[in-house]
Amino acid sequence: MSFLRVSPWSALKIAVGAVYAFMLTPILITAVVSLNATNRSLFPPQGLSLRWWGEAFSPEWVDPLIFSLKLSAVSAVLSPLMALPLTFALVRYTFPGRQALMALTLGPLLLPALVTGVALLQFFDFMGWRAWIGFPALVAGHVAICLPFAVRTIAISLTTLPPNLELAAASLGASKLRTLMEITLPYIKNGIVAGGVFAFIHSFTDINLSLFLVRPGEQPITVKIMGFLEYGFAPTLAAVSVITLVLPLILVLIVERLTGLGNFIYGGRGNG
Amino acid sequence: MAEFALELQGLEKTYGAARAVDGIDLQVHTGEFLTLLGPSGCGKTTTLGLIAGFFPPTAGEIMLAGKPVAALPPFKRDIGVVFQDYALFPHMTVEQNVAFGLRMRRLPKAEIKTRVEEALSLVKLTGLGERKPLEMSGGQRQRVALARALVIRPTILLLDEPLSNLDLKLREDMRVEIARIQRKLGITTVFVTHDQGEALVMSDRIAVMNAGRIEQVGPPTDIYEHPASRFVAQFIGRMNFYQGRVMDDAGRIELVGGNVISGHDAQELAAGTTVHVAVRPERTRISKDMPAAGEAVMALKGRVSDVLFLGAAREVHVQYQDGRFGCVELPNNGAPVPVAAGDEVWMSADASCCHVLPA
Repeated sequence: MSFLRVSPWSALKIAVGAVYAFMLTPILITAVVSLNATNRSLFPPQGLSLRWWGEAFSPEWVDPLIFSLKLSAVSAVLSPLMALPLTFALVRYTFPGRQALMALTLGPLLLPALVTGVALLQFFDFMGWRAWIGFPALVAGHVAICLPFAVRTIAISLTTLPPNLELAAASLGASKLRTLMEITLPYIKNGIVAGGVFAFIHSFTDINLSLFLVRPGEQPITVKIMGFLEYGFAPTLAAVSVITLVLPLILVLIVERLTGLGNFIYGGRGNG
Repeated sequence: MAEFALELQGLEKTYGAARAVDGIDLQVHTGEFLTLLGPSGCGKTTTLGLIAGFFPPTAGEIMLAGKPVAALPPFKRDIGVVFQDYALFPHMTVEQNVAFGLRMRRLPKAEIKTRVEEALSLVKLTGLGERKPLEMSGGQRQRVALARALVIRPTILLLDEPLSNLDLKLREDMRVEIARIQRKLGITTVFVTHDQGEALVMSDRIAVMNAGRIEQVGPPTDIYEHPASRFVAQFIGRMNFYQGRVMDDAGRIELVGGNVISGHDAQELAAGTTVHVAVRPERTRISKDMPAAGEAVMALKGRVSDVLFLGAAREVHVQYQDGRFGCVELPNNGAPVPVAAGDEVWMSADASCCHVLPA
């Protein structure tokens, strides 16, 4: 009856291990499948070859990948920039319509992105802005669905800022603008960066919204993959998937290193 | 130079129906150390915030070195503030914290460097300029906050309960330290605290606040020896209170359950008025025999309920015949304790030590 003496910690370890296995095994299989020598996605692979990787680095795939990176980078910069004044208004002030603005800001979190996509497409059509379908419309849509994340992370930083910090700066002779630049913004910096990272990932992985706003030559990698899937699952796709997975991962790791963002995402010291 | 470094004129701050500061008039002399003392919620911190300019007063004016400043934002007032939580900038080093106010004043780099070094040596933190606030102890952070407020050479220094986050021993050291620095620089200081011990030790004058108003202003000895109201009497030090009634125009007072006294410190009380008679425990005597009475000595009979050992003194608690309690402080000077719990005793005090306060 030795299993009765297993400590709860081992049970937790097993559970965590199972979760990781469940999440990581498919990815590992995908990675291995990309090395098939045949043109079928077999596991275990038949023979080893890098030909599908060669194909994955052809313009057919690299172009949408670069398009996605550009789109996500713009969303990652614009979302926190727009979230910043919005969050200050929502956190610091009470005004008529504050609740409505809050609901509007966080709305895209609750709404299926699919609906937002259809709505945006109709909106651009209705306004006669057909020419903007493609990159500009995608940016608008992605910022809208990424904004809630940036607002949340910035709001967390802002509410942990001790009010006396800004008063201290004022008493030392700092105007409102200088207090903002030298005290407030540095203090909430990690919230802003975290908002940007979340926006990047959310934008990079989005397909629901993007489906409706693409035009030929201006489509992100997710839409390209979706389209390719209609013809079946070639090992090329496995290679592309691995690239698509690794790129944002590297980015997040770099940002984490530079800013100590882990504290912010996983908890830790309150000053973000 | 203006006669007063700081002058508050009819200062008021209301939040809806709540009167946080309810009409304050106060003058602070140049170089003076003035303490705003009162329980939490009495409006002392609000008053400090008004002086610093963190929010505008509802009514009244604030004169700083003779100039009205009530309409000025805090960054144009030239006031140094030390906060209860120190409010050090966590992303800056100690040096950058202290230099902040000088940088805002756009002083040349070389001068900033010298003045920061001076300030750090004043608070005995030389050599710690590269540290971050989070790497320092509470006492050290306190010193950084003080240096940061002083380095700008403000017209006036405001201290908001700066010692309340420190442990007892450190708090007592910092009392002396702050008083030393204040006297050395001769800087006008307004200190906010709820700790009467701090107020008595550090202040030139104390303003006792209650419910948004100043109850009494004066040097610590005056406040302690001649409290002007029942609130001041019970808030500062310990006090025994007795009920009394003014008997005649000469001001003789009949104590409820006791004798008639005269020669106390009250002036001009109409006959028939009910009053509180307040006596400090350390000015009260206790004896088993009835004291040689007369109108120069108040005397009340009671029974000892408790004898508490405090180390340097003993506190004898006595219940009077009307059910109220009083206490006597006996110094622990080697003499035997004359009474024990259960004894019938007489409490007495010279009438000159009795403070007669309106009920």
